[in-house]
Amino acid sequence: MVSLKTYEDLGREREALISGKITDNEQMNDRHDEIIRETFDVARATIESEQGPPPAPFAFFLMGSAGRREQTTSSDQDHGIIFKGEDVQDYFLKLGKEVSEGLDTVGYPLCDGNVMASNSLWCRSVEAFHHQVAGWIEEESWQSLRNFSIIFDGRVLVGEPEFLENVKIEACHLIERNHLYGRLRDNVGYVKKGVGAFGQLLTDHPHSDHLEIKRTVYFPFVNAIRLLAMKEKETSAPTVQRMNGMEGAYPFLNSYRDDFESLLSLRVEKDVITPDRLSKEEKKEWKYLIRRGRKLFREVSRIMEEGNES
Amino acid sequence: MDAIFLMNNVWIIVCTALVLLMQGGFILLEAGSTRMKNAGHIAGKTVFTVGIASLMFWAVGYGLIYGEGNAFIGLSNFFYGDATTMGEGLAGSVDFMFQLAFAAIALTIAFGGFAERAKLMAYVIFAILFSIVVYPVIAHWIWGGGWLGAHGKQDFAGSTVVHLTGAMAALAATMILKPRIGKYNKDGSSNDIAGHNQVFTALGVLILWVGWFGFNAGSTFGVEDAFFGYVALNTQLAAGAGAIGAMLMVWLLSGKADVPTTLNGALAGLVAITASCAFVEPWAAVLIGLIGGMFVYFSMKFFDKKRIDDPIFALSVHGTVGVWGTLSNGLFATPELATVGRPGLFYGGGFEQLGVQLLGVGASGLYAFVVSFVILKVMDVAMGGLRVSEEEEIMGLDISEHGGYGYPENLTPPKSTDKSGA
Repeated sequence: MVSLKTYEDLGREREALISGKITDNEQMNDRHDEIIRETFDVARATIESEQGPPPAPFAFFLMGSAGRREQTTSSDQDHGIIFKGEDVQDYFLKLGKEVSEGLDTVGYPLCDGNVMASNSLWCRSVEAFHHQVAGWIEEESWQSLRNFSIIFDGRVLVGEPEFLENVKIEACHLIERNHLYGRLRDNVGYVKKGVGAFGQLLTDHPHSDHLEIKRTVYFPFVNAIRLLAMKEKETSAPTVQRMNGMEGAYPFLNSYRDDFESLLSLRVEKDVITPDRLSKEEKKEWKYLIRRGRKLFREVSRIMEEGNES
Repeated sequence: MDAIFLMNNVWIIVCTALVLLMQGGFILLEAGSTRMKNAGHIAGKTVFTVGIASLMFWAVGYGLIYGEGNAFIGLSNFFYGDATTMGEGLAGSVDFMFQLAFAAIALTIAFGGFAERAKLMAYVIFAILFSIVVYPVIAHWIWGGGWLGAHGKQDFAGSTVVHLTGAMAALAATMILKPRIGKYNKDGSSNDIAGHNQVFTALGVLILWVGWFGFNAGSTFGVEDAFFGYVALNTQLAAGAGAIGAMLMVWLLSGKADVPTTLNGALAGLVAITASCAFVEPWAAVLIGLIGGMFVYFSMKFFDKKRIDDPIFALSVHGTVGVWGTLSNGLFATPELATVGRPGLFYGGGFEQLGVQLLGVGASGLYAFVVSFVILKVMDVAMGGLRVSEEEEIMGLDISEHGGYGYPENLTPPKSTDKSGA
């Protein structure tokens, strides 16, 4: 048996990763995946030594930026466990708790919204997840549709990929039947303005000098592509992969993918920009990306609305 | 007794109460624009420095302004208490009370520059010194028969005397005190330190707006021809235009219809029209207020870029716009209404009045800044710093300076973190 690292070892690896020189989004996320997978292995071994091996087949999946393989140096943890079997939830909740605490020790802060496998909402059997996701869609409240968006960004890191994939596909059919494209669009309809009336970069607040990349530049791309993926039943989570998967049906995505990839590589290094401190070229590039994100969101909104009517 | 005489006195004592009520506006404006941990301090110090201002005005202020003296200072009527003097259609005591309320406003504006970081003792000492060597001198120059008044300087209700003077002292204070912890980053970029209650700020602005009718319309000193109605009309138009101008500007430039900026725009409109409310036509009042409101956002950004931390934007609202308001006379004063000085540039008066206004602003602003700066510098050295310690600033002035919170249920005193026992 290979001897496992400790959480502290992994914490040091994470520290090295975020203070390191990686400027490539793929490399950055490969490393995050490895560290999280190894953390999961330590947690699993800890629980196995106390409770025995997992009593049923399962999958451990990541959500949020980790699910989309778009983590930066300051991402928290969002994850869940889906398993096949009855009366085994207690075991996986214990595992989920150990993983959450382990990740916290390693340096991924606990999720404020409690989207973690230690929460029974995100640690359920295949049947229960199907039932729950269908319930969210039927309820169609703001929060329940948000929850659906969260699980739709799920990506299996350890275990059986098809458990989660089936949940997503069934949900997409239900959305189609219930004509929810407009509602889902409205659920993420706030697009923060980044370029002003005179073509200037806008800061987050009139009395501060900063602009948070996530909300203003990055979210419009991610939200638009997630919406389209729901419509097209594209089950992959990373935005770039979703775009690749849907390019056949929507050739216009091609140019947006290039823009999004350059955004990802800019974002690996920083979360916030200070427009006053940027060169003319840098400003131009950010403004271009902001406008492209908004444009993509508008185009996708139109597609979603038309999809609703048909 | 003459009915007009009595009505004049009733009107001015009512206006005195309105101007005093403006302190309530400042309490809400300042407390709302700053953080919860300093709210009790900001509210309490305003009431208590009005107390100091009142006693100082009684003891020396009024005499230095209106006493017999020379072109630069008055030197009689100290410890005012004359129940018999009648002057300018008013009982002396009524006139005294009205002037006192103005002096207290100038001091409160100056304290805007102290917000969230000055020691309580700094307020006490500066309140005394400002009330002797800063405000009365400028008030004498323009209103008390001094050299600027003799030049025909137009400042109907005090854009220069009250607002610019207060703002210049605030500028000196904020420069010496330095920015609040957390306002600027190492690279010089700035963070927003949001005020804790925009509703308070808005209510504060509205109270100031109402009180301003005492400030401007009361500066008619009487009821004859009911001219105060015309002054009130111009005041109302400028305040409204100021709010619109500021919101338009901040919306265009920052993409957000920022509430604090809009509120400051209404105040800017009021400050701007203060000098000219009796000398211009209503359309000009709209323009003066609108431009004042638009200036205020630029000015806020300007001071921020210069790393001058002005928590409640006193420098922009009262200083920058006070200058604009004073100069606007030189552009818009009409021949019929210009009872002091000459008509403005747009009414065929040429550049003469504009020049007089510029001289008044330059001389008064410079005097107020330099003298305040020197006083505060000396205090800084003598008191071992005007500013509270870093730890006190972090815990908030409510607890450090007064021993209790303005919001006791929302905040708890910091536990001692010093485990070394030292």
